Amino acid sequence: MTVDDKRPTAAGQSGEPLVALRGVDFAYDERPVLRRIGFELRPGDFTGIVGPNGSGKSTLVDLVDGILQPTSGEVLVRGRRTDRYRRRDMAREVALVPQHFDLDFDLAVREVVEMGSYCRGKDAASCGDPEQMLARLGIADLAGRRFSELSGGEKQLVVLAQALMQQAPLLLLDEPASALDVSHQLRLFDLLKELNADGLTVLCILHDLNLALHYFDKLLVLSDGEVAAFGPPDDVLRPEVVEAVYGVRAYLHRHAGRTYLTFSPRLRGERRGRVHLVCGGGTGAGMMRELVDAGYEVTAGVLNALDTDEETGDELGLRMAVEAPFTPIGDAAHAENLELMHAADLVVVSAVPVSHGNARNIDAARDALRSGIPVWADEGVCVNDFAGVTGALAEDGARFFAGEEELLAAVRGRSFGDGRASAPGAAAGQATGPKDGPPGAAG
Amino acid sequence: MSDLADTGTGRAAPLRRAARAGVWPGILLVAAVLVGCVMLALALGPASLSPGRIWDLLLAGPVGGDLDNAIFWQIRMPRVLVAALVGAALAVAGVILQDLFLNPLTDPYVTGVSSGAALGATIGIAMHLSNLPWMTVLAIVGGLGTLALVWLAARRRGRIDIFVLLLAGVTISYLASAVVTVLMIKANEDMHAIVFWLMGSFSGRGWSDVEIALVTVPFMAAPLFFTREMDILLQGEKRALELGVEVERTKRMLLVTAGVLTALAVSVSGIIGFVGLVVPHIVRLLVGPGHRALLPVSLLAGASMMVVADLLSRTIVSPNEIPVGVVTTFVGAPLFVYLLRRGRRVR
Repeated sequence: MTVDDKRPTAAGQSGEPLVALRGVDFAYDERPVLRRIGFELRPGDFTGIVGPNGSGKSTLVDLVDGILQPTSGEVLVRGRRTDRYRRRDMAREVALVPQHFDLDFDLAVREVVEMGSYCRGKDAASCGDPEQMLARLGIADLAGRRFSELSGGEKQLVVLAQALMQQAPLLLLDEPASALDVSHQLRLFDLLKELNADGLTVLCILHDLNLALHYFDKLLVLSDGEVAAFGPPDDVLRPEVVEAVYGVRAYLHRHAGRTYLTFSPRLRGERRGRVHLVCGGGTGAGMMRELVDAGYEVTAGVLNALDTDEETGDELGLRMAVEAPFTPIGDAAHAENLELMHAADLVVVSAVPVSHGNARNIDAARDALRSGIPVWADEGVCVNDFAGVTGALAEDGARFFAGEEELLAAVRGRSFGDGRASAPGAAAGQATGPKDGPPGAAG
Repeated sequence: MSDLADTGTGRAAPLRRAARAGVWPGILLVAAVLVGCVMLALALGPASLSPGRIWDLLLAGPVGGDLDNAIFWQIRMPRVLVAALVGAALAVAGVILQDLFLNPLTDPYVTGVSSGAALGATIGIAMHLSNLPWMTVLAIVGGLGTLALVWLAARRRGRIDIFVLLLAGVTISYLASAVVTVLMIKANEDMHAIVFWLMGSFSGRGWSDVEIALVTVPFMAAPLFFTREMDILLQGEKRALELGVEVERTKRMLLVTAGVLTALAVSVSGIIGFVGLVVPHIVRLLVGPGHRALLPVSLLAGASMMVVADLLSRTIVSPNEIPVGVVTTFVGAPLFVYLLRRGRRVR
């Protein structure tokens, strides 16, 4: 690989940053795009830029490449201001893989890749071989094809090959993964990681926060033209930062030794009501998420700590009555559970297996029914009833639904508390009953 | 895998494969075609000359007293040379402008340079400066003056906005044409001369016209040194900047070159359509869009096409002449359509 020819002999050689932005403001005409941007990239850094659409990511990358000049502040590449570079010299320091790349002309892939060595001058020896570069990216067979005939993913790799022909120590990428399927995405980021291990400094815009979390050593979060956070991914992509920047709710999940983010749309205004879930062993996790996303305030219990549903509830930040792992429900947890249930507008019972360890949850639900709180249950709960208590639930007036889907549909079909009847009720005319009236779906 | 790699060129034209091997085979082939066309044009006419006779005349040089010699050196040779140079200049200007505007419908006349030159020439005719070098000078001044105007219109913060340039060019083109029309109405006895000039012709062109046309040579040669930059510019100005091209400088150089070529061509021959539009397209279909082959082959092909067109224009209904622009269109249009149907895409 020729990239490491330009690599400084030691990463921290002189402590000089490869790129430094100091107090950078940028405006298109009068419209400010970036404000007070300051950060540094050191040789060997593998940094991602994330941020909502329109937050100025592409503009930032163009500033680093010297294509745009800041309205105030300075952008330094190897300690020299970008406006002091001739374009050819800049192209030897910084290579860019653009977001949109199209070429209507009928050029061969080899010719397109070869254009990347323009900044290296006419000397063939210092230019590198386009075929070798394509082989390095695992697409040697494309060399003779016409660029215009390639798929989006192939084009993306060819443009990467073109940029790498510049043999610049810094590679900028503007959403290189946006046109790629999941396998190409992973292949691309693995490749970037490899190039980085060979000494290439990488600054990459991307939208997928989970890819950002997994691949990058550092992340820069741009929000509305300002740096919202800059640092290691785990520090930077905390749910509260994501919420503040993107305006969505974010949840961190740990799975198979990795951290994942999932997102829910942020609610507009009022809560739709409060639902208490009786579940366990993963039978309620899906409903928890669905109900939270639908805007309900969700509580749950009693769950054993480390139970799948308990972990999901924890990640979603739910209030729950929790018992110690592998322990039958004790008095304290039961009491807390009753309290949560009585504060709810509806109690939902998942298809949880019932045994003596958790039979008290069914007792609690019956208690709620007696207090006038409706209890809707998945029929499945009767199937794995090893304690023989669900029959009593039916007698006390619980309503049963054929599976989670129907149950959720029924919950969504009505509103609780002081809310007005929602769409299905309204469609049925004035048949909507009182608060605990018949649900929209057939029982 | 090698099968896969070959599919890209498998259906391509033979010249295209030659271009892959290097640009020289293609260039030499078209150069040979040009030589053939020139020989044909020198040989044919009301007094036909055999190839042997042409060879003798070439060796003898211009000599007085010999009718064949006079026809060859004083009438046909300058006429053929002017046609070749004008055709080459228009084709090169066409390549430059089409690729700079990234617009396949562009021809050398969209910049307004030709209309400006036409205006200059019309003024010359209306002022009865017809047979002086003044007319040529006025045409050049008109063409370059228009280029300057369009340039100023398109300049913003030290950058040339290609899109504005195109619009300004078209606008000024219309404006100049309107003025020409007014002048034609005013100068009704010269109307015929003006119309004839506008249609374009190589009739009666002599060595003084060759001298003017020869000025195009350095301007045709200049872009040959910028073929890599021109290739890279096919990806758009921003990408070219990213890859290290001094885009503004290159654009300025290319625009001035195309403008001067157009102004010179129009000033010696009038407005001859179709060559600057179609030759680059035909050549692109044959050798691909890479400028290392596209520019020289277009230059030679433009020259060939114009020489043949002029030959036809003066021989088909001899002793009368058909305007050469009509011939270029009649010859070029079917050829172009044929290649379009055969090739997979225009660009």
